[in-house]
Amino acid sequence: MEFLNHLGLGFEAALSLNNLTFCFIGVLVGTAIGILPGLGPLATIAMLLPLTYSLDPVTGLIMISGIYYGAQYGGSTTAILVNLPGESSSVVSCLDGHQMARNGRAGAALAIAAIGSFFAGTIATMLIAAFSPVLAEVAFLFGPVEYFAMMVLGLTAATLLAHGSFIKGVAMVLTGLILGLVGADINSGTYRFTFGYFSLTEGIEFVAVAMGLFAFTDIVTNIRGDQARDVTTPSLRNLWVNGKEAKEAALPVVRGTAIGSVLGLLPGGGAMISSFASYAIEKRLAKRPEEFGHGAIAGLAGPEAANNAGAQTSFIPMLTLGIPSNGVMALMIGALMVHNIAPGPYVMVSNPEVFWGLIASMWIGNAMLVVLNLPLIPLWVRLIQVHYWILYPIILTVCCVGLFSIENSLQPIYFAAGFTLVGCLFWRFRAEAAPLLLGFILGPLMEEHFRRALLLSNGDLAIFYRSPLSIVMLSVAAVMCLVILLPQIRRSRSVAFTENA
Amino acid sequence: MFFRLNDKADVEAGLFFTLFGGLTAGLSLQYQMGTIAAMGPGMFPLILGIMLTAIGLTILAKGVMAGGETIRSLPLKPAFLITLSLLVFAALVLAVGLVAAVPAQVFIALWASDHFTLKRAIALSIGLLLFCYLVFIYFLGVAVPMIAI
Repeated sequence: MEFLNHLGLGFEAALSLNNLTFCFIGVLVGTAIGILPGLGPLATIAMLLPLTYSLDPVTGLIMISGIYYGAQYGGSTTAILVNLPGESSSVVSCLDGHQMARNGRAGAALAIAAIGSFFAGTIATMLIAAFSPVLAEVAFLFGPVEYFAMMVLGLTAATLLAHGSFIKGVAMVLTGLILGLVGADINSGTYRFTFGYFSLTEGIEFVAVAMGLFAFTDIVTNIRGDQARDVTTPSLRNLWVNGKEAKEAALPVVRGTAIGSVLGLLPGGGAMISSFASYAIEKRLAKRPEEFGHGAIAGLAGPEAANNAGAQTSFIPMLTLGIPSNGVMALMIGALMVHNIAPGPYVMVSNPEVFWGLIASMWIGNAMLVVLNLPLIPLWVRLIQVHYWILYPIILTVCCVGLFSIENSLQPIYFAAGFTLVGCLFWRFRAEAAPLLLGFILGPLMEEHFRRALLLSNGDLAIFYRSPLSIVMLSVAAVMCLVILLPQIRRSRSVAFTENA
Repeated sequence: MFFRLNDKADVEAGLFFTLFGGLTAGLSLQYQMGTIAAMGPGMFPLILGIMLTAIGLTILAKGVMAGGETIRSLPLKPAFLITLSLLVFAALVLAVGLVAAVPAQVFIALWASDHFTLKRAIALSIGLLLFCYLVFIYFLGVAVPMIAI
């Protein structure tokens, strides 16, 4: 019953006119950016984040999360209609979704994607509502030792599961942790790495880091590839899925939801890995695997459900433990901190309307997306045809005004410019920037817990091996590192990734 | 560039991380270290700096010996122009106002594209100025001046 009371509180918050409006704006913007190739959710959320600072915390979060899961929907539309992944998580949807479109079943493909995603979103929302309080109970037992161990595990796993070289990912996490330490030291108040600049005493503005490394670097690297895209406007006469198709889609959707819900929970997991895993499993289970790649319905329905479920359940570690499992969640934590809400198990107690309101809004947002997506397809088709040269000056200006508006200062713009150059360098030597952002957010927290743990143990490093929870988490992290460093497994991992890409 | 290893991503990455880690470790020496039980502000950055240096050297060694991934060639003109467009925006927005900052940014940024034409730049500038006025100044009340002088 308590569960229902909580959800009731959440719906009360989410159904206010203001929050509904921003939820709608969020999913609409999210769908649009999901559809536009070359503009990802991370860059967009970084771009719009400063504008949410003036909103209520719950309203701001509702809008940001709307963008995030809206982008999963939009990405599949592009994948199906143009064979271009609008989002990295919809790479798999290209394979069979686009083939379905070419076989004249574009409408059905879009409908299956939308309904599958909605089903997955509904289940995932219920999972979040049911499991978050349980996980938060566990988190209340955590002391500094366990928190530190969990962050080590989280960062290791996130780096491991992110694509790209593992060792460079670790280096990026460390770089992020270091950058996160800039500013006043919590215990002594000493200004570290500020080089005498007063504006650095509160640390580097994380929106500037995110925009520089993602939004602006993306622009630099995308400008060359700006070509007109051929969109074969699909025949949308029959949007309705026929009985046979529905039957073929049903089980894969359920399986995809299950896979996505589990993988979304893992640090570094989330939408993309969930969709790859679901595709692989559907192909293995299929009676006629030779149909895959030629418009198999299971090859579309499963991954679509999985990516949406994964996108949603990746909120659980962020909301209950304060640990971001991917770049977008790192930005959400930053947004919470701007509103003086410390992410972690206490959010549920201290700001229940934020927590449950966000969860309720996810379900509402998913429902909006189904209603929104299908009738607006002609509009989305037009949007795919927008040229990149129109898009990127708009992104630049909106970002600049946003950076300025954070504290009416030009400083963040200069920092973003600097991080653009650094981001280009990272791109050049193929170092993935998302782990850096995770490290950047967790840097100060990690130091705090590390120092507190050793203060409690009076300098005895063995304290990390006295708590059973901490032993388990640190050992898992160590095993992951070992496994990845064994060349045999590393090779097969890279094969797995090229196969998927 | 680097002993004809300039197409090797890991060599560059290794150098970058080694230098950054070394710099961090070096700079953190100026802060109090404290003891393990009561760490000063310098200890944690020093640990991270040393770890990063070690990993940077490993990446460097891997790059020199095994080759690894090749670098992607960075489009220099866009990288330069996009960064410049940000700096120019920052320089103009408070001094002259959005009416100068937005067109300047659009011109410089669009110059990086193969699709640059004067007409397109002007049209985009006007559209963006209208958008900025309506959304940022009128609706959101951002304290950014349209005309500062």
